[in-house]
Amino acid sequence: MLIYLAYGMSFILAMMLQYSVFSRWTILSGSPNLVLLLIIALCLHQRHKRFWILVLVMGGVVGFVSALPFLVPMLVFGAVYLAAEGLKQRAWQTPLLGMFLLTFGATILEHTLMIGVLFVQRIPFSFSDALVKVVLPAVFLNMFLAIPMHAIVRELTLWLYPQGAQL
Amino acid sequence: MRNLLTPKNLRNLILIIVIIGVLVLSISGYLTPLFSFSVSPLISAQSWMSERYLAFRDFFGSPRDMATLREENASLRGEVAQLQSEIIALQENLAQADILYTLLDFARNNPEHEYVPASVIGREISPYLQYIIIDKGSNNGIRYGMPVVTQQGLVGRIDAVISDAARIQLITDAGSAVNVRLKTANVEGQVRGSITGETSLDMVPIDAKVDVGEVILTSGLGGTYPPNIFVGQVFSMQSRQNALFQTGSVQPIVDFSVLSAVLVITNFEAVDINPLVP
Repeated sequence: MLIYLAYGMSFILAMMLQYSVFSRWTILSGSPNLVLLLIIALCLHQRHKRFWILVLVMGGVVGFVSALPFLVPMLVFGAVYLAAEGLKQRAWQTPLLGMFLLTFGATILEHTLMIGVLFVQRIPFSFSDALVKVVLPAVFLNMFLAIPMHAIVRELTLWLYPQGAQL
Repeated sequence: MRNLLTPKNLRNLILIIVIIGVLVLSISGYLTPLFSFSVSPLISAQSWMSERYLAFRDFFGSPRDMATLREENASLRGEVAQLQSEIIALQENLAQADILYTLLDFARNNPEHEYVPASVIGREISPYLQYIIIDKGSNNGIRYGMPVVTQQGLVGRIDAVISDAARIQLITDAGSAVNVRLKTANVEGQVRGSITGETSLDMVPIDAKVDVGEVILTSGLGGTYPPNIFVGQVFSMQSRQNALFQTGSVQPIVDFSVLSAVLVITNFEAVDINPLVP
């Protein structure tokens, strides 16, 4: 219960930080996604079988609060959870590498889905502008923030799973 | 009489006369050199003793005073820091008050509308979407579709509302389209946003003469926004061969990157013409 509470609180904190601070941190038109980074780090560090429910709930909350189509965050977060489960079985000895891989992949997936949504909604946009001014800066910022986020969530996990820390 | 001149009385009389004599001499100033001569060694001794005492007191008392001074210094430094933070907070409040006064001025100068002021508390999570969150919602009379302005010009419209917050779609959003009128050229067009937050002018008749710097106002067409709200200025225009309309780029009058307070026009109901669109 304490674990879910701590994860929930950290998620709310990340949402508040994202909306108030990190959405204003832009390079060209790209901005980092702190919530996505938190989900990635949590998925890499959690040890619960039913964590996917929390991931979907978090995706639902983001879909509700944000102007994004409701399914986009749920799909991205669900994909992150599945990829993290796969990575933990294969590359568990290098969690930071897993964090980088997932950050890169999830950011690309999120942006691809958003571009797809714009395409479906027939909103005119320039693909090269999207790539150069939004996707690449966002990938860079997410990769940059992945290291501190990984460290913070690692400390949180060590605090929540003291037995794991001793092992 | 004989009883009065006893030796005792005679001594007292002489004593009184001597005292009176000394007083008279003293008052008349004849004894001043004598006093000076006798008092000056005492004053010197008193000065010496006082100096030694002060030196002694300073020697043993100064460490305690240093400690007190250090404490006082630390306390004063703390007070200065607190006052500085208060000054910063007051300056921020002053800046906020300036913005609110400007908004109030705008509201007074445009009495045809009713306004609800709101503070911007967040920006959209996705960089593809140009939305902001404000701290007023349906409890404050804000409804879906209401136009949002600042003292400078048009900001956007309400996209979603909950009880104490609302989401605004900015005119720079890729999904936003504002029907506008070019003031001098007196032609109509459409201002569109983009995924990068830039705005462009579209649907301007090919034969219209549009100068750079032309003022762009809302036309009111479509019923989404009230007419005659300042949107921006024409930054550049271009017309391609065989194109049906001219296009151009727009410099919005509102600086969306530093938006901190807005006014929601509450007495304007947007008309939903979607059912009429074939």
